[in-house]
Amino acid sequence: MKKIATLLLLALAFTACQKEFLEKKPIVGVTEENFYRTEADAIAAVNAAYATMQFELSPAGHFRWFWGDIMSDDAIKGGSGDNDVNALLQLETFKGPTNTDLLESEWGANFEGIYRANVVLEKVPAIEMDRKLKARILGEAKFIRAWNFYNLVVMFGGVPLVDHVLAPSEYNMPRASADDIWNLIEKDLTEASADLWRRSEYPAADLGRITKGAAQALLAKTYLWRKKWAEAKTITAEIIASNEYQLTQNYADIFTLDGENNVESVFEIQYMNASGGNWGKNNANEGTFTNVFQRARGQFAGFGFNIPTQDFVDEFFKEGFEDPRLKSTVFRVGEPMGDRGIFTLAATGDMPHIYYPKKYFSNKSEDAPFGDPNPNGGSNDRVIRYADVLLMHAEAAFQTGDEPAARASLNQVRARVGIPSIGASGADLLNAIYRERRIELGLEAHRFFDLVRTGRAAQVLGGLGFRAGTHELFPIPQSQILATGGALTQNPGY
Amino acid sequence: MRLLFTFLFLKIALATAAQTRISGRITLDPTGEAAIGATVAVKGTTVGATTDLDGYYSLEMPPGYTVLVASYTGFLTQEIEVGGRSTLDIRLAESATQINEVVVTGYGSQKRSSISGAVSSISAAEIAERPILRVEQALQGRTAGVQVAQNSGSPGSPLTVRVRGVGTINNADPLYIVDGIPVDGLDFLNPNDIETINVLKDAASAAIYGSRGANGVVLITTKGGRRNQDGKISYEAYYGIQRAARFVELLNAREYATLQNEAYIAAGRTPLPEFAHPEFLGEGTDWQEAIFQNAPIASHQITFSGGGERSAYTISGNYFSQDGIVGGPKANFQRATVRFNGTHDLKKWLTIGNNLGFTWLERNGLIENSQFNSPVIRALNMDPITPVRKADGTFAYSNYTSTDIANPVNAIEQTHNTWRSNRFVGSVFGELKLAKGLTFRSTFSLDATFALQRIFFPKFDLSNVPSLSEAPVAEKSLVNSVNIGNNNWRNWQAENVLTYQKNIGDKHDLTLIAGTTALHNRYDANGGANTNLPSNDPKDAYISNTIDPITSQSAYQWATESSLLSWFAKANYELNKTYLFSATFRADGSSRFGRNNRFGYFPSFSAGWIASHEDFWNIGLVNFFKVRASWGQNGNDRIGDYSFTTVINNGQNYTFGPNEIITNGAVALTSANPDLKWETSTQTNIGLDAELLDGRVQFTTDVYVKKTSDMLYAAPIPLVAGTAPPIQNVATAENRGLEMSLNYRNFDRPLKYSFGGNIAFVQSEVTGLGRGGEPVLSGYVQFANANASKTDVGHPLASFFGYVTDGIFQNQQEIEAAAFQSNETVPGDIRFKDLDGNGVIDENDRTYIGNPTPRFAYGLTADFEWRGFEVNLFFQGTQGNDIFVNTTRFDFSYVNRPASALNRWTGEGTSNTEPRVSLNDPNQNARVSDRFVEDGSYLRLKTLQIGYNLPRNWLKKVRLEKMKIYFTGQNLLTFTKYSGLDPEIGAVGGSLELGIDRGFYPQARTVLGGVSLTF
Repeated sequence: MKKIATLLLLALAFTACQKEFLEKKPIVGVTEENFYRTEADAIAAVNAAYATMQFELSPAGHFRWFWGDIMSDDAIKGGSGDNDVNALLQLETFKGPTNTDLLESEWGANFEGIYRANVVLEKVPAIEMDRKLKARILGEAKFIRAWNFYNLVVMFGGVPLVDHVLAPSEYNMPRASADDIWNLIEKDLTEASADLWRRSEYPAADLGRITKGAAQALLAKTYLWRKKWAEAKTITAEIIASNEYQLTQNYADIFTLDGENNVESVFEIQYMNASGGNWGKNNANEGTFTNVFQRARGQFAGFGFNIPTQDFVDEFFKEGFEDPRLKSTVFRVGEPMGDRGIFTLAATGDMPHIYYPKKYFSNKSEDAPFGDPNPNGGSNDRVIRYADVLLMHAEAAFQTGDEPAARASLNQVRARVGIPSIGASGADLLNAIYRERRIELGLEAHRFFDLVRTGRAAQVLGGLGFRAGTHELFPIPQSQILATGGALTQNPGY
Repeated sequence: MRLLFTFLFLKIALATAAQTRISGRITLDPTGEAAIGATVAVKGTTVGATTDLDGYYSLEMPPGYTVLVASYTGFLTQEIEVGGRSTLDIRLAESATQINEVVVTGYGSQKRSSISGAVSSISAAEIAERPILRVEQALQGRTAGVQVAQNSGSPGSPLTVRVRGVGTINNADPLYIVDGIPVDGLDFLNPNDIETINVLKDAASAAIYGSRGANGVVLITTKGGRRNQDGKISYEAYYGIQRAARFVELLNAREYATLQNEAYIAAGRTPLPEFAHPEFLGEGTDWQEAIFQNAPIASHQITFSGGGERSAYTISGNYFSQDGIVGGPKANFQRATVRFNGTHDLKKWLTIGNNLGFTWLERNGLIENSQFNSPVIRALNMDPITPVRKADGTFAYSNYTSTDIANPVNAIEQTHNTWRSNRFVGSVFGELKLAKGLTFRSTFSLDATFALQRIFFPKFDLSNVPSLSEAPVAEKSLVNSVNIGNNNWRNWQAENVLTYQKNIGDKHDLTLIAGTTALHNRYDANGGANTNLPSNDPKDAYISNTIDPITSQSAYQWATESSLLSWFAKANYELNKTYLFSATFRADGSSRFGRNNRFGYFPSFSAGWIASHEDFWNIGLVNFFKVRASWGQNGNDRIGDYSFTTVINNGQNYTFGPNEIITNGAVALTSANPDLKWETSTQTNIGLDAELLDGRVQFTTDVYVKKTSDMLYAAPIPLVAGTAPPIQNVATAENRGLEMSLNYRNFDRPLKYSFGGNIAFVQSEVTGLGRGGEPVLSGYVQFANANASKTDVGHPLASFFGYVTDGIFQNQQEIEAAAFQSNETVPGDIRFKDLDGNGVIDENDRTYIGNPTPRFAYGLTADFEWRGFEVNLFFQGTQGNDIFVNTTRFDFSYVNRPASALNRWTGEGTSNTEPRVSLNDPNQNARVSDRFVEDGSYLRLKTLQIGYNLPRNWLKKVRLEKMKIYFTGQNLLTFTKYSGLDPEIGAVGGSLELGIDRGFYPQARTVLGGVSLTF
C-alpha cells in the first residue's frame, strides 16, 4: 500500500511541474517570444514598419505614381508598348480588370505595413525604456499605420479595419466602412502629432524619421478628403506657424539628390542607391525602382514609364508664358538627359514619346556595382512638401471663406518661382488653387487623387472612360475576395 | 556443467523430505537429438530447470504438484502428468506454429494468438540467416507493408523506412524504440545484438505511442540472457568483398567525339579540331571504372551470455568495418559496440535490470546523390577524352568542363570528411511485484551522443601550368579550409508502468497497463571554421593552425530542446481464449505543440475472434483461424521543435541620416500559430491469421485505410494578415493498402524446407491541401531547371509531372503541322503533345507522367536444411514504380551521354525516340518530360547464403557447442528494365524526394564468408 502511495505521489509530482516541463521557448535565435525587450528592439521593430513604405514591387509593381499620375490626365503608362504591364493600360483607360497583381500587391503591401505597425503598437508599450522615445516610436507606428490605411481608403474605400495583429481565425475580416477607416486614420494621426518630435528635435542621424509636421500634414490631407475645412485650416496653419519648414529657394533644387530632406520636405520616403535589387518582393531593398522605370528606353537604359501627356505640358503655358517649373518637371526632345546623351526619338529606342518625366530622373542609378542587373535608384519619394501644405492651407482657407489667407498661401508658392500673384476670388480662386496643385505638384502622384477628392474626376477623365460612381475607387483584388471565401465584397460597378 | 549439477544437488539436499526428485532426458523428434537448453517446469510453480548438453534435466517436484511442462523453441510444448515417476523422458515434436510466439507490443508483450492488431515480427534467427549491415535491412522484404529502400549504397548511410506507405508530406519516418528507449536513427545499433524486431503497423497497435505513432512504430529488443542457462560464448565473424554490380553504358571517346562534332555543326559552329578524326580516339577513359573499386567489409562479434536462477546477462562486443565501392577508405564506415544487458532478482518482490549499449562510430563521407558534384554524377558525365591522370601522374582536368563536372577521382582524393560519434544508449529499471499479478516498473533511460564532424578542404590545383592556374574553377582550390562541428544530443526518459494481470480460471484473461512517461530531448551544436592553413595535410586540419589573422575564423552555436509528458493505459481482455478485446488510450503533452493545443488524446480499440477455438470448429485442415479488426488514432509530432512560434527576421531595413545609413529593422515575417498541433492519422484495419496443416502453412492478411488529417502545410492566407502564411494543420492524405504473407514449412523430414512470400499493395494520395493550397513541388532537376515532382490533391505523392513526348520531328512539314514549340525548332527535335489543344506547347501541356511509389512491394524466401547444410535464398522487389533519370547533365553540352545517344536522330527516318544532338537546345528537348521516366520495378536476389553446421559429435571433442561456416552473396542478381546503376532508390532529402536518380551511389554486390562458433 505504501508503494502505491509513493506511486501516486510520483504521479502528482509530474502533474505539478507539467506546465513548466512542457513550456519550451527557443533557446537560441530571436523569436517573437524573446524579442521586444530592449530599446534597441523597439527601434528595430519600428524600422521594420518604415521598410514597408519603401515597397514598390510586392511582388508586382505598385508605385505611387502608377495611381497618382498614370491614372490621371497628366501621364500615360509608356513602357515598351501596350503589352508592357498591360494591366496598367487597362486600369488607366478604366477598363479595369478586377484581378491584377498590381492592385493585389498594393493591397498586400499596405496590410504588411499595418501589420508591422500593429506589432509595434502591441509590443513596445511593455518595453522598459525612455518614455519620450517610447512615445515617439509609438507615434511613428501610428503614423505608418495611418499612412497605409490612407493609401487603402483613397484607393479602395472601406477595407478591413485591422487595428491589431490578426489571429488566423480573423483572416476573413469583412470590410469596414470608409468612415470607420478615416476615423482610425484621424485618431492615429491626432495622437501621433501629439507624441512625435518636431523635425528640429531629431538628431541628424534620425533624419528621415516621421516628424510631428508629417503627421499634421497627413492629418490635413485627411481633413481635406473629409471636407473638414476648419480643422484642415487650423492644422495647416499650425504647420506654417511651427517655422519648421519653408519653401526651397530654387524649385529645380527640390528634386536633386542634394535636395532630399531639405527645408521644404515634410514627408519623404527614403531611398538610397544600394545594390542588390531584384525583381522579387523588394522588402529588403533600400533603393527605388522609380528611377529606372521612368528613365527613357534606348541608350538611357530605362523602361520609359509615366509619360507626360500634351495636355499636362499645355497646362504650363496657359498663363501666356512657359511656367518655369516645366523644365524641372518634363524632359523635352533635344534636352540632355543626364550624362547619357541628348533626348532624341532615336536615342530613346524609337519610342514615339516626346516627353519624359524629370523629377525622379537620376544618374545615380548608374552607380550600382558593375554587373548588377537591376540597379536601384536613390531618389527619395517626395510625398508631402511644404508647398503642398501651403496649397492645402489655401484650399481650406478658401473653403472656410478666408479668401485673403487662401490667396496669401497660393501666392507664396507662386512667388517662389517668380510668377505673378493671383488676385482672383470665388470660383476662379478655387480653380487657381487646383491648377496650382497640378503644376506645382505635377508628376508627384497627387493628380488622380486630387481630381477624385475635389469631385472633378468625371469631368476631367470622362473622355478616358472614367465613370462617376465606380472609378473613384479601384476594384478590390479578386484574389482576396476568393481568399477570404467572399468575406470581402467588391466595389460597386466592378 | 559440473557446477550446475552441484547446484542442483545442493538444492536437493536442502529440500524438504516432502519434495520428490524427478529427472530425465529430453529428445527431439524426428532425429532423436538431445534438446540442449530445453525448459522443464513444474506447472503452477516457478520451479524449473534447463537441460544440459546431453538433454538431461533434474528437478524437485514441490508437494502437491504433479504436472511437468517441457518446452523448446520451435517444438510443441508438452504437459505430462508425472504420476509418481522419478524418471521421465520426453520426446518433443517439432512445431511450425507461430501462434505461441511472444510478440513485443508497446509496454508489454502478448502471444501472437492473442493479438488483435497488425504487428509484424522478425526474430534473431531470421536476422542471422543473412548478415545485415544495418538494422533497417532486416525489415526489407520480410515484413509485408514495411517498405525499405537504401538512401545510398555508401557505407553507413541511412535507409528510408516507410510503414504502410507515406502518410504525410512531412517527416514520414517511423518511431524507433530500442529496449523502450525512443531513438533517432539506428546506425548505432549492432544487428547481432537484436533479439526481435516488431513493427506496429496499424493505429490500434501504435496508439499506445500516441502523438509519435502515425508513421508506425518499430520496436527493437536486444538480446538478454536466459535464466537457468549455461554460460555461452559465441564468436561470429565474416569478411567479404564488395564490388559494383553494374555500370551504365556510356559513349566511348570515339563515339563522344562523333556526337560532339554533330552537336557543333547543329549549332552552326566549327567542330573542335582535336575531334577531326574520332576513329583515332579509341575507347578513352572509363570514368566508372576509375571511381569504382573492390572494397572489403568485415565484422567480428563476441557474445557472452548466461543466467542463473536469479539473474541473466548478455555481454557483447562488435567491431564492424566497411569500405565504399566508390571512394574505398574515403567512404569507410566503422563501428565498435559494447553492450551489457542483465536482469537480477534482488528480492522476491524486486527485480532490477539494465540494457546498456555504447557505440563508437566513424563515417567518412563523400558527396552522395547530388546532381551537381558527387563522384558518381561526375563519372557519368565526364568526357571520355580526358585521362584520369596526366603523363606525370598527377590528376588531369577536362578541357571541356567549367563547373560541376570535375575529375571525380581527384575530388575523392581531396575529400576529408569524417563524422565521429560516441553514443551511449542505456536504461536501468526496477520492477516491483506489488501483489499477485500486479507489478510496477520504473525505467530511466538516457540516449546521449557526442559527435564531431571535421571537414578539411585542401588546396589543390590541377592546372597544367600552376603559375597560370588555368584549370577550371572546380579543378582547383587555392585556399584550404577546415570546418569543425560538435553535435551533442542528450535525451532522457523516465517511465513508470503499472501492470496488472489476472486469469480467472480458463475463462477470463485480463491485462491492465497504465503508465506515465516524461521525455526530454536536447540538442547542442557548436563549431567553427578557418581558412588558409599553412599545412595542407589533413592531419593538421585544426582551426587554430592558421597563418591568417584570427578574423578569418568563424564560429556558431545552437541549441534546441523539446519535451513530452504522457499518460497511457491499455486493457486486454480475452474470453475463453477465443474472444479478444483491446483498448488503449494515450494523452500526450508536448512542448512542440502550440499553447492552444498542448495535449493530444489518442484512443484505439481492437477485437479478434479465434474461430478455431470454438467448439464447433471441425475443419481439421485449419488448426488456427483468427479474424481481427482494429481502429485507432495516432499522431506525428515531428513538426519541428518550435514551429508554433515565429522567428524574428532581421534585415527589414530603412535608411536614416544624411549619410543614408542602412538601419536594421526586425519583425516576424511569418505569423505564429498557437493552434499548431500534431498531424493526426486515423486507421482502420481488418486482418486474418490462419494456420493450416498443423502450422505448416501460415497465412496472414490485412487491409487498411489510413487517413491523415491536420497535416502541416503553409496554405496561403489572405493578405490582410500582413505576413507569410504560418504552418497550419490543414492538409489531408489517405493511404489504403492490402498486405499478405504466406509461409509453408515442412519439418518432419530430413530435408527441411520452407518457402515464404509477402506482398503489400499501397496507394497514397494527398486528399487536401487546405483552401487555396498550391501543389507542393519537389524533385528539382538541374538540367531542366525545373521540378520533376508534384504533390497535389487526388494524385500520389511526389508524382512526376511534365511534358509528354510524341516522337521526333522528321521534317519541316511535321513541325509546321504540329503545335508551336519554338521559333528554332528543327527536324530531329522532340515533338511534345499539345494536351490542351491550343496550338502552342506551353506549361499547360504538362501532366502526370509517372509515379515513384510502387504499386506493390514483395519479398520471397526459400530455406533448405539437410544434415547440417543450409541454403537460404531471399528475393525482394517492387513493381510499378517509376524512376526519373537525372544522371546526365543536359544543361552542359560537353557531358558524356548514355550509349542510347548513339540512336540519335541524324536525318529523316533515323530515329523516333532519341533527338538530334546540338550544343544548344532551343526546343528544350531536355525539359522535364516522360523521356526521362523509366520503369523502376525490380526483383533482386538480396541474399543467398550457403552454410554448413558441423556435426555436434565432432564439435564435442573440441568443447564446441555449435559451429557454422557460411558464404553469403548479397545483391547477386537484379532483374530490372532500369538503365541506371541501381533501381533501389530511397527518399533522399525528404519524404517528397522520391524515385529521382541523381547519380545514386549504388549498392554493392557482396560476397562474404563467415564463421560462427558457440562454446
